[in-house]
Amino acid sequence: MTVDALYHWLNETFPFLSGNEILIVLAILIPSVALFMVIAVNALVLVYAERKVSAFMQDRVGPMGQGVGLHAGKWGLLQTVADALKLISKEDIIPRLADRKLFIMAPFVIFVGAFIAVIALPFGETIIIADMNIGIFYILAVSSFGVIGLILAGWSSNNKWSLYGGMRSAAQIISYEIPAGLSLITVIMLTETLSMQGIIQYQSGGLFSWIVFSSPFSFIAFIVYFIAAIAETNRTPFDIPEAESELVGGFHTEYSGMRWSFFFLSEYANMLVVCGVAVTGFLGGWQSPIPGYFNTAGWSIFWFISKILFLVFVMMWVRWTFPRLRVDQLMDICWKYLLPIALFNIFGVGIWTLIFG
Amino acid sequence: MKQYFLNIWETIISLSTGFGITWVHMLNIKKGNVTLQYPEEKWPRPERNIGFNHDDYNVIRSRLTVDMDDCIGCLKCMRACPVDCISIETVKAETRGEDIKDIGHVGITSSGSKKAMVVTRFDIDMTECCYCNLCTYPCPEDCIFMTGGPNADRHPIDYEFSEYDRTDLIYRFAKKGSKEKMEAQMFPKKEKAEA
Repeated sequence: MTVDALYHWLNETFPFLSGNEILIVLAILIPSVALFMVIAVNALVLVYAERKVSAFMQDRVGPMGQGVGLHAGKWGLLQTVADALKLISKEDIIPRLADRKLFIMAPFVIFVGAFIAVIALPFGETIIIADMNIGIFYILAVSSFGVIGLILAGWSSNNKWSLYGGMRSAAQIISYEIPAGLSLITVIMLTETLSMQGIIQYQSGGLFSWIVFSSPFSFIAFIVYFIAAIAETNRTPFDIPEAESELVGGFHTEYSGMRWSFFFLSEYANMLVVCGVAVTGFLGGWQSPIPGYFNTAGWSIFWFISKILFLVFVMMWVRWTFPRLRVDQLMDICWKYLLPIALFNIFGVGIWTLIFG
Repeated sequence: MKQYFLNIWETIISLSTGFGITWVHMLNIKKGNVTLQYPEEKWPRPERNIGFNHDDYNVIRSRLTVDMDDCIGCLKCMRACPVDCISIETVKAETRGEDIKDIGHVGITSSGSKKAMVVTRFDIDMTECCYCNLCTYPCPEDCIFMTGGPNADRHPIDYEFSEYDRTDLIYRFAKKGSKEKMEAQMFPKKEKAEA
């Protein structure tokens, strides 16, 4: 359901308002609210999953409880709700020497960066807010928007840790954009389109028409993209912008309460976006792995979300397995390894399509 | 150049080893779990063998408890306490050795002595207690004792007494309502004058 389609539908259902500006506002507002709910529920689920996955990998049990009350419900299912209540009720502290306007603005800038990228994610054949003909390029462009927020947060806190965190994250995200972009170029070379739906249509026909399995080069491209995506979301082992042992909290050291939770929300929304792009570009998007079966609209949402959740799980797996990289190691991986591999991939995919395509 | 590809190969090998380790730990969570869900599960208490017979040697240091049916209100434990964590208030009973049923006061102790006093307050502040056991020796009726050990038949052992509030660690042993009841008996006229 795109915004255009929704606008036409609203015009038809409310003929007395047709042509009115209210309908345009409504057609934009309804998907936005729906997307906000998606992001909030996404964070709710992923925070719980992250706690549980990390616990299981470290031989712990994570949040547990026998009932509602002092415990967090059966198996700790209410843990995220308790977290949210705590964050809402916390004091909102703004340091006296902080740049007040920028300090207040920064979390929302980051959140907007994550939010506007979600609108181009295709959850199904018709379930997409904006089916742009440059979808994948748009996502790459706006997901770098969050860097401004990170630098704003780091600068406005008036704090050494925050400033270091902001600078590091800017350096990291901008560097890792390049291998991510180059590995997506291999996808675009194969599909010859930038539209998200077009890329998914190319991969119709079951598991072995997915781009990740179509050639060895695209498999390497998927790995490169995934590593770069983890780095772009500032997650361990690439979490030097918020390295707890060095920078306390990095760019969000001075934030508390709801403002801090916006950083958290946008981190999980970013995970959703990068995994969504990986699923769209390499894992067949909302296509079912068995051609001809399970490809109704409901199933398409299921396939898309379950593929995303699988990649998110791998991200968590990576986070709780590997230690943090040093700054120089981080840059080494990006410029000395990922970038040449990604460039070689473009060449390889070109040859592959010449011979087999 | 050779080193470059060796590095990539080594990275792949070491990353997959790491993945394997965490994966195995995640699958074996039921067996390998080290967390103890504390209030619901507890470590089993080890069999205590410290070289002497517990029954002869009353030295277990756990929680203090009082058998109020036997307490005669002599204040000896309160005086013996080096940190003053016991506070007792008594009121003279109307008739010596008689039960007062509505507050559950028992007139005669288990060793046969008749009570002259009604204990209206018997608080032990376990946050201050230093577990010296000095209060248990002077007691003529053996009614203040540490739980468990040689006294396990009278009170099961309680060495954790974890509470949500610090004030809950002040254990109040006096019979409920005894203070109000006895004060009303002592000052009946004052109450009438106020009314």
